[in-house]
Amino acid sequence: MNTISLKRAVNLMLTFSICLLTLFLTGCWDRVEINDLALVMATGLDKANDNNIELSVQLAIPKAMGGGQGMVGGHGGDKPTIVEKATGKTIFEAMSRLQEKVSRRIFWGHNEVIIIGEKLAREGIQRHIDFFTRHPSPRERSFVFVAKGKAIDTLKVIPDLERSSAEITRELANFKIGMSVTLKELVQMLIGNTRAAALPWIEVEREPENKMGLRVNGTAVFKKDKMVGRINDKVTRGVLWLRNEIKLSAVTFEPKGAEGQISFNLLRSHTELIPKIENGKWKITAKVVTEDDVVENETKLNLMNPKIVKEIEKQLEQEIDDRILMTVKLVQEEMEADIFGFADAFYRHYPDQWSKVKDQWDEKFPEVEVDIKSNAYIRRPGMSTSPQGIPENEVKGK
Amino acid sequence: MKWASVLGITVVVMLITLYEWPKMTKNLKKEKWAFVTLTMAGWLLAVLLVFLPSLPGPNDLIDMIFKPFGKLLQE
Amino acid sequence: MIEKGKISAQQMAIMMYPVIVGTGIISVPAVSAEYAKNDLWISPLWAALIGFVAVYIAFQLHKFYPGQTIMQYTEHIMGRTLGKILGFLYLVFYIQMNGGGIRIYAEFVTGVLLTKTPIIVVISTIVLVCAFAVRGGVEVVARVAQFFFPLYVLSMVVIIVLLFPDLNYKNIFPILADGLIPSMRGAIVPGGWFAEFILVSVLFPYLTNVEKGRKWGMISVFSVMMTFMVTNLLILFVFGETTSRYLYPLFTASRYISIADFLQKLDPVIMAMWVAGSFIKFSVVFYALVICTAQWLNLSNYRPIVFPLGFLTILFSIWGVPSKMVESEYNFIVFPVYSFFVQILIPLLLLSIAFFRRRRPALR
Repeated sequence: MNTISLKRAVNLMLTFSICLLTLFLTGCWDRVEINDLALVMATGLDKANDNNIELSVQLAIPKAMGGGQGMVGGHGGDKPTIVEKATGKTIFEAMSRLQEKVSRRIFWGHNEVIIIGEKLAREGIQRHIDFFTRHPSPRERSFVFVAKGKAIDTLKVIPDLERSSAEITRELANFKIGMSVTLKELVQMLIGNTRAAALPWIEVEREPENKMGLRVNGTAVFKKDKMVGRINDKVTRGVLWLRNEIKLSAVTFEPKGAEGQISFNLLRSHTELIPKIENGKWKITAKVVTEDDVVENETKLNLMNPKIVKEIEKQLEQEIDDRILMTVKLVQEEMEADIFGFADAFYRHYPDQWSKVKDQWDEKFPEVEVDIKSNAYIRRPGMSTSPQGIPENEVKGK
Repeated sequence: MKWASVLGITVVVMLITLYEWPKMTKNLKKEKWAFVTLTMAGWLLAVLLVFLPSLPGPNDLIDMIFKPFGKLLQE
Repeated sequence: MIEKGKISAQQMAIMMYPVIVGTGIISVPAVSAEYAKNDLWISPLWAALIGFVAVYIAFQLHKFYPGQTIMQYTEHIMGRTLGKILGFLYLVFYIQMNGGGIRIYAEFVTGVLLTKTPIIVVISTIVLVCAFAVRGGVEVVARVAQFFFPLYVLSMVVIIVLLFPDLNYKNIFPILADGLIPSMRGAIVPGGWFAEFILVSVLFPYLTNVEKGRKWGMISVFSVMMTFMVTNLLILFVFGETTSRYLYPLFTASRYISIADFLQKLDPVIMAMWVAGSFIKFSVVFYALVICTAQWLNLSNYRPIVFPLGFLTILFSIWGVPSKMVESEYNFIVFPVYSFFVQILIPLLLLSIAFFRRRRPALR
């Protein structure tokens, strides 16, 4: 009898306490439903008045995004993204202002692109980058760009080929047609030995008429974290060669003693910077090895002839050398910012000498002597043998 | 809120007791003592920490003894 | 004997691996990087020496007193009273160590994923799960470790392979630019972790093949060392000079993975594996704590004290640790020295006393 009542009491207690435990289950604190989220696709940072920052975000509209491909024509008005903006002393403050007018919780986990307005870039970007590496949501994989004019204008672009301007910028970055810098790489540049950074320069493209698009058009050059200037598309290619980041390249030139141009498509390329310090002279030798295919031949040269190809390879090497040297000259003389990574090359080979000039690198960098040694290999002639459309007897080097 | 925490702690301690106590047979006298002592100590400490979250603990003692060495090594 | 289960030496090695790696891999590399800069991959070499020493000490002591854990032979070596005092020091150390480890884990989970969840919930849930594993005995803990170990290693391999396109091998240069000292200083904190290998002294009595205990202990230390070296190299290749700026570099690196724009955002997978690894770690340490406490109190069954000790562990993980900053300062400045003192110096002292006690009769 006694044991039964005890057991009952124990059971009662258990039930009671389990009921009490439900009190703790009221919140699954971090529960967020996907339809309560506003996904940030791209972020724009601009300078606002009074040291404030203007934050603009491109938010995905899920219903327009999902059905995008299925709809042919018609619903022209269904924008897949919207752009919202707010200002604040810091990015996070601006974001909380932004939240006041966005009904869903702003979520940074899918942010793919950070675009910095030119004005802000010229004032310094370091303090605005911290947020993106400290807050747990944004990813270090986001690509960083500098926009001509205001960043918000690039976000507002509604493209034809892709669903959003965020996607265009990401794809352009993946192409590596210009510089392609992720947040992680930017942080490395800012902290690194070079004391310089380079970010791709992005412009709103209005050609042809009534269309809107984006274009990576050159590179913004930073000294420390302040933008000092911009180099154009062609010079950027030279930077990419030296940084061993070149993936796509079309080289076109006119061979000596021939009429017309030949175009080459870059297959792969590898650049190595070899630093040397001799009698106090700092020198960099860049060894470039490239492999190319012929894709266009306007001349009358027979490119099936190994002798001719050998000759053209030499000229191709010269062409590449010239391109790179032009870039080096311009960057060394006008920018004085080491965006090639020479400092790292010296630091890795000559850590002792490096530590002595570390603080005067800005002055030392323009004095560094640069020598390019390129090796070009033309691998294949494409799908044709002798030039098409010329009679046999006019082909040279048969 | 603090009293709610105390209540929660008490419930947890009670649940542990209800789970363990029936499993201990009569000849496990020492175990019962150990269990009661440890559980009571846990309850007391938990309640103390609810009211005095900055109560100095063993970590502070260890800090005092070993921090100078730690700092020395890392300088 | 208090524990009736038996494990093999291989199982012991698998159990010990996450004890070091489980929490060590979360944030120790960043601390190594702070001192060793781009030589951080050398630091585990120095740190592992401590691990080898720990296994050696534990094995020699076990040879002197077969079938006994560190708790039991401490009393034989130091005498009853002194032995009990020393034993109590060990108990406090292990409950503190486990509390600290759980705090590292919980700070990580709340810091990067469950930002709004109260930390006490994260702590309590893992301790509860560990408590059930420990109640199951040494065999259960060993089998859980065996089950998760391959998945754990696999997840590491996956991160390494998928990060390949983003690695910059040049970050390793210049090697040893400032000599060996920076890499040694970078080894202090992982060394504190490696000292935890002394825990094998609690597992040795339950081995079916004790004679292989030393060999497998050493293998375990070696594989932990290799793991640390590989991960340190990996994060160095990914982050270069910025490594020390990240609180959880390997996790951030795993977030950096992006293959063809669709194989990305793998961090929840990595996180799940790390939770599993930490779970094994805390179970093993918790088990050692429970066994030692039971032996210290001369109990005949350790199961009744599992939950009360778990409850105390939870309290120790929050007692006097208001924030991640305090936790970091404690774990990276104080703990390594404390750990070395308790887990290496004292056992070494025990071993030398035991050694001379053994020799004296021979001299007579």
